[in-house]
Amino acid sequence: MRLWLGVLFLLALLTAQATHAEPSQLAKEDIEADASTRQVAITSSFTGTEILVFGAVENSQQLSPEAGTYDVVVVVEGALAPAVVRRKSRVGGLWINTEAMRFAPLPSYYAVASTRPVDEFADNAILDANQIGFEHIRMVPLEEAGARLTDPAKIADFKEALIRLKERERVYVKSEFGVSFIGRSLFRATISLPPNVPVGPLVARVYLFKEGKLLGQYKSRVMLEREGIERYLHDLAIGRPLTYGVVSVVLAAAAGLAAAFALRREA
Amino acid sequence: MTLYLPIAEMSVSVLVYLALGAAVGFLSGLFGVGGGFLLTPLLMFLGIPPVVAVATGNAHVVASSVSGAVTHHRRNNVDVKMAVVMLAGGLVGTIVGVEMVRILRKAGLFEITMSLTYVTFLGVIGTLIMIEAVNAWRQVQQAGGAAPTRRSGRHGFADRLPFKMRFPRSKLYISVIPPFVIGMFIAFLSAIMGIGGGFVLVPAMIYLLRMPTAVVAGTSLLQIVFVAALATILHAVQNKTVDVVLALLLIVGGVIGAQFGTIASERLRAEQLRILLAALILMVAVRMAYDLVITPGDVYSLGSALGGA
Repeated sequence: MRLWLGVLFLLALLTAQATHAEPSQLAKEDIEADASTRQVAITSSFTGTEILVFGAVENSQQLSPEAGTYDVVVVVEGALAPAVVRRKSRVGGLWINTEAMRFAPLPSYYAVASTRPVDEFADNAILDANQIGFEHIRMVPLEEAGARLTDPAKIADFKEALIRLKERERVYVKSEFGVSFIGRSLFRATISLPPNVPVGPLVARVYLFKEGKLLGQYKSRVMLEREGIERYLHDLAIGRPLTYGVVSVVLAAAAGLAAAFALRREA
Repeated sequence: MTLYLPIAEMSVSVLVYLALGAAVGFLSGLFGVGGGFLLTPLLMFLGIPPVVAVATGNAHVVASSVSGAVTHHRRNNVDVKMAVVMLAGGLVGTIVGVEMVRILRKAGLFEITMSLTYVTFLGVIGTLIMIEAVNAWRQVQQAGGAAPTRRSGRHGFADRLPFKMRFPRSKLYISVIPPFVIGMFIAFLSAIMGIGGGFVLVPAMIYLLRMPTAVVAGTSLLQIVFVAALATILHAVQNKTVDVVLALLLIVGGVIGAQFGTIASERLRAEQLRILLAALILMVAVRMAYDLVITPGDVYSLGSALGGA
């Protein structure tokens, strides 16, 4: 419903623009965007989902969707959470975690979609400043007591491993041609949320580039929340762990006794 | 059909976990053991985080032991006094064990410790059961062979310890220290391995405490139920890693499996069953040892964020 309203609105915008295309020739371009869903519910049947991020370039001077005048980047980020990366090494024939690096809170989920690979149209300074692309996410190793982090090669190794592991868990997702224009100004991108997406608020950031310059950006929020029994159980487990533990034991004992009773009746 | 697990934070196939519960239930019905030593490693092989596998395994142990404990209690096959002494030790062992899990997790050493404990215990116990069962089987094969020698009435180190107490149900007058220590040790193992520990507890009670075989099963089950219940609650409080949805899935599957296991066990001889059980225990041990020794695909791993650790 919301999606269709949005699309209709954008179409209206498009036609309005088309009618007075000449006067807007020199008007500054900007960007507007939104997500198809503002609220994603994690219920017991949650198996991952997709959200559509769409928007439009205001005062688009692009002649056709394929012209490639503009580059658009969509970043969807999950809540910040601390991360630990561990490295195993061989100790007496066994593989044991021997080194670890803790990072200051960084996005627990990070999806980036763009019209083409971001380093083709934007320089590192802009990407770093806006945290666009895995390599440009702010990852700050925390000092551990007694261990000074002076070895940049080691930090680089751990950062690279962090990105690789997050990618393997499908919570860091990159789609280099994931944003497509479907009109002179209208664009869309599909962002997939895997079943193991960390629960928490998501922020969708959309950037408009032209010839390497950042022309505009837009932010939107998507709530990602547990609902129903999932929410109840999780809140109980975190908020009142003692009650949760006792309930778990009672349920398990009841199930065991009920089973024994049922089987005895049958026998 | 899939289900989202609230604590493990992953979507899993209901059928796979029902089948896993049923398979473990079948084996526990077949061998008369709780099956925790199989369940926890199998959960890990399926991708459940080790801490969740262990904590949830404890909840599963409650379910699989409670009915046995009640039945034995009704038949007066429980030495309650002995169970209480062992439980006192069990209390200490559980608290230390759960705290140990928390500390090891923080240091990133939980997996390796648990795996090593598994490999050691399953390896030793599996080998012992295998040797004993093969000998028993040989004796049966040589018809008219010498009857198994019973060690009787020999006085061991336990008799020289202080704090002696009478256990009328077991017809024992022994120090409370050995049962206390045994209870504590098994509870400690239970908390870090997610098992009931019956396969260690039963031989310990027979050979170390010299309890009459008739009351061993009931007494050990009673002790296991309470220790597992305590471990579940402590894991829920300290580590927040008990997944009640996963536990119930496994329990439901287990009920079905156990029924068939009990039927199958009636068609096999006791020695054959013990040889199979030993083989199974050794297989799990070898598999876990293999994972420790082979070069991992990626030497890096992400620390688990579950339970806010």
